[in-house]
Amino acid sequence: MKFDDFTDRLFEGARRAGFEECEVYESKGESFRVMVFEGKVDDYKVNTSLGLSFRGMKNGRMGYAYTEVLDEDAVSMLLRSAADNAAVIESEDPQFIFAGAGKGDYKPVEAYYPALAELTPARKIELAIGMEAAALRADPRITTVGYCMLQYGDGSVRIRNSRGLDLSERSNGLFAYLEPVAEADGKREEGHAYRITHDPDGLEPEAMAREAAENALTKLGAAPVRSGSYDILLGSEAAADMLSAFSGIFSADAAQKGLSLLKGRVGETIAAPCVTLMDDPHLRDGFASAGFDAEGVPTRTKAVIDGGVLGTLLHNLKTAAKDGVASTGNAAKGSFKSPVGVSPFNFYLKPGDTPPDTLMRRMGRGLVITEVVGLHSGADEVSGDFSLMGKGFVVEEGRRGRPVDQITIAGNFFTMLKAVEAVGSDLRFGLPGTGCVGSPSLWIRELSVAGK
Amino acid sequence: MLSEKTAARVLAAALETGGDFAEIFYEDTQTSSLQMLSARVEEAVAGRDHGAGIRVFREYGSVYVYTNDTSLEGLLTAARQAAAAIGSDRAADAVIMLAPAAIASIHPVRIPPSDVSAMRKAEILRAAYHAAKGYDPSVAQVTATYMDRHQQVTIANSEGLFVTDERTRVRLGVLAVAGDGRENQSGFNGPGGQMGFEFFDSHDPAEYGRDAARTAVTMLRADLCPAGPMTVAIESGFGGVLFHEACGHALEATSVAKGHSVFAGKLGQTIASDVVTAIDDATIPGAWGSGNIDDEGTPCRRNVLIEKGVLKSYLIDRLNGRRMGMASTGSARRQSYAFAPTSRMSNTFIDAGDSSDEDIIASIASGLYCVKMGGGSVNPLTGSFNFAVSEGYLVKNGKIDRPVRGATLIGKGEEILRRIDRVGRCVKTGQGMCGSLSGSVPADVGQPLIRISEIVVGGRQEGAQS
Repeated sequence: MKFDDFTDRLFEGARRAGFEECEVYESKGESFRVMVFEGKVDDYKVNTSLGLSFRGMKNGRMGYAYTEVLDEDAVSMLLRSAADNAAVIESEDPQFIFAGAGKGDYKPVEAYYPALAELTPARKIELAIGMEAAALRADPRITTVGYCMLQYGDGSVRIRNSRGLDLSERSNGLFAYLEPVAEADGKREEGHAYRITHDPDGLEPEAMAREAAENALTKLGAAPVRSGSYDILLGSEAAADMLSAFSGIFSADAAQKGLSLLKGRVGETIAAPCVTLMDDPHLRDGFASAGFDAEGVPTRTKAVIDGGVLGTLLHNLKTAAKDGVASTGNAAKGSFKSPVGVSPFNFYLKPGDTPPDTLMRRMGRGLVITEVVGLHSGADEVSGDFSLMGKGFVVEEGRRGRPVDQITIAGNFFTMLKAVEAVGSDLRFGLPGTGCVGSPSLWIRELSVAGK
Repeated sequence: MLSEKTAARVLAAALETGGDFAEIFYEDTQTSSLQMLSARVEEAVAGRDHGAGIRVFREYGSVYVYTNDTSLEGLLTAARQAAAAIGSDRAADAVIMLAPAAIASIHPVRIPPSDVSAMRKAEILRAAYHAAKGYDPSVAQVTATYMDRHQQVTIANSEGLFVTDERTRVRLGVLAVAGDGRENQSGFNGPGGQMGFEFFDSHDPAEYGRDAARTAVTMLRADLCPAGPMTVAIESGFGGVLFHEACGHALEATSVAKGHSVFAGKLGQTIASDVVTAIDDATIPGAWGSGNIDDEGTPCRRNVLIEKGVLKSYLIDRLNGRRMGMASTGSARRQSYAFAPTSRMSNTFIDAGDSSDEDIIASIASGLYCVKMGGGSVNPLTGSFNFAVSEGYLVKNGKIDRPVRGATLIGKGEEILRRIDRVGRCVKTGQGMCGSLSGSVPADVGQPLIRISEIVVGGRQEGAQS
């Protein structure tokens, strides 16, 4: 059944079943992924996917159900499951089905790039083979490539509800990842580089291969440092990964549930004056750009931390109503199956004017940490505590020294925000997940390091 | 469900351009989940996942196409897409003969979760919630989640396999947060099984709730963990995540086949101290990581990975098996039809040894005793791993001293396996979700209490020096 037909029947059924309001959220997409090993296609994956989530309000309670098949059975299954689920809800929180804003309130956002859609599978395979070859060519010590992957995704979202809202948006993107292995003296180290782009010529296979190879080669001979307290220059990629792991603390939903220490702290200084944290759903060439959120509310740009002061938490309609403020347009779903939660879009620490090399000179002595590992287990959003495996370099007399690994850096994210001495000029975004998180290099005073 | 006739036509279409093996994985799954917060059910979601994945091999190359459109037409379109991608110009005419086989379930379900009302499921959450909240006044928040999943699959391949299987799983999660206004600490338990709702007859939700709260409260009052190399004892149960991360992933054919694992080419060699015997066993009735058949249709089995320190077996799937010249070990798994399967762990544990728990603790002059572990991760190439200690205690002169928080263990798999020098007698397991190339799959980890002679502990006690 087609979407319109299916939702017409669903809404009609919902009225008869006694739902006060209801809504469907449809997610549709195509993706392509190729992996290359030793000059040949090693893995190739394409798919088309469709998922539809239904939510309906009954006696003020919201029940959810989803399906991946749009047939007659699915209509009755969705209505029955959503009614059962609404009946078991005990939360007294207000629930919303949004009627929509004025047409002019939705900012047109460029997220779909037709030129990108025209890359043929053959061209994408050729690009991937070229990436692997370039990495192997980069240096005789590069002996193999662990992963060489090219991925293209095209997805669209449509929200339609019983109050007349009907919005849709489409986005696409190209992602490449390269992980060469360097070998010397019986030791192996891997390096990586990635590109994510809207431009068919934006992959820069040669430059990416050089960057990945360099990354692997510079790790050869890495060793721990002595345990102690060090000044740290957190590289942009590592800083973005950390911010991403702790992004949940800025959710009003987490705060209201007592799961974020930022509860009730809007207006207070929570970070050093050089820290400004933006959420910009309209960022040009951003990978999490959108004109409306998962409830159909228009998105908007805001400073979450402004010069160290907590400006706002991120809200959807429910959390905003509970706090007596307006939604910030940050309703989000982890996948179409999930209930509406809260999440940022293009979420980044505003860069400064100083290049990271200058920061290193000013720092004089300490460590550059280029990679942190273990965020899914070693970073606790509830307490802010982290203890992560780190890789990077020793900094002596303001210069980059020998490579470092097998160390952990540990601290507390809330404390760290206040200990940012300076931010670099090198803003870089990580891979998009729920939102897309970016950061420049950060100079952090005194983190605890465990090594030998 | 998928008929033999449809499967045969789809497989033939997938081989049209000269592929040498084709497979179809057809899935229909019902899920339900509930979440409780502040003593109230906050969220309830139910749904149906439905789709099929078609895989074609030619030598070492593989193509995977999946779709939600499981009509004959939709499946043929997907099969032809796969054929075109694997394709050579030569056309082949494959005739597929399927031989349906029955699978005997070793994980019988007594109470299908679909027969249980949402209200009854909410009672499980209520019991866990109140036990955790009532444990101590400092317990500020408790989140309890319940989930069940009933997956029906049909797997057919061009070698004639045609099998169907059902997998039912239930799981409870309790997260307790203790706070004093300035700081928060959390504790978690997540018991689950390949069982029906009868799981809760033998697993008391209140007990898991109380225990999660106990960890959170203990850690709230704990000092920061000192940093540096130490002797460490790791408790049974979820402590097995050490072996899972430090060694298990590097034994998966996914990284072994291409020589990307530190353990590649080491079968028959000593890779661990002689007190270490490690097993991956997907046949344990009712266990979280168990199965009847794997996601390629191969019967699940018990694989001895390491015996008294000697590497005995890898975990192998079909595709990587080709590259390695070895047969599947029944270890191919995937999150759903949206993922091509690859070699994964099931229920993986260090087997019982002969040290007593008392002797192990008494043998530590100064070190760390890890009662609960969080998750972790590993780089199979270098063997370098890290994981979080969610409940730890300092040990002084053979006695457990005070609780400490914020510790991480890091090291390299190869080194740590040789430093496991004492293994206790009682194996326990813990449940987790393991993420890798083929998605997130349920996996049990396990071990008795073990001692590691030296490992780097990351912490942040001020001025700590080794």
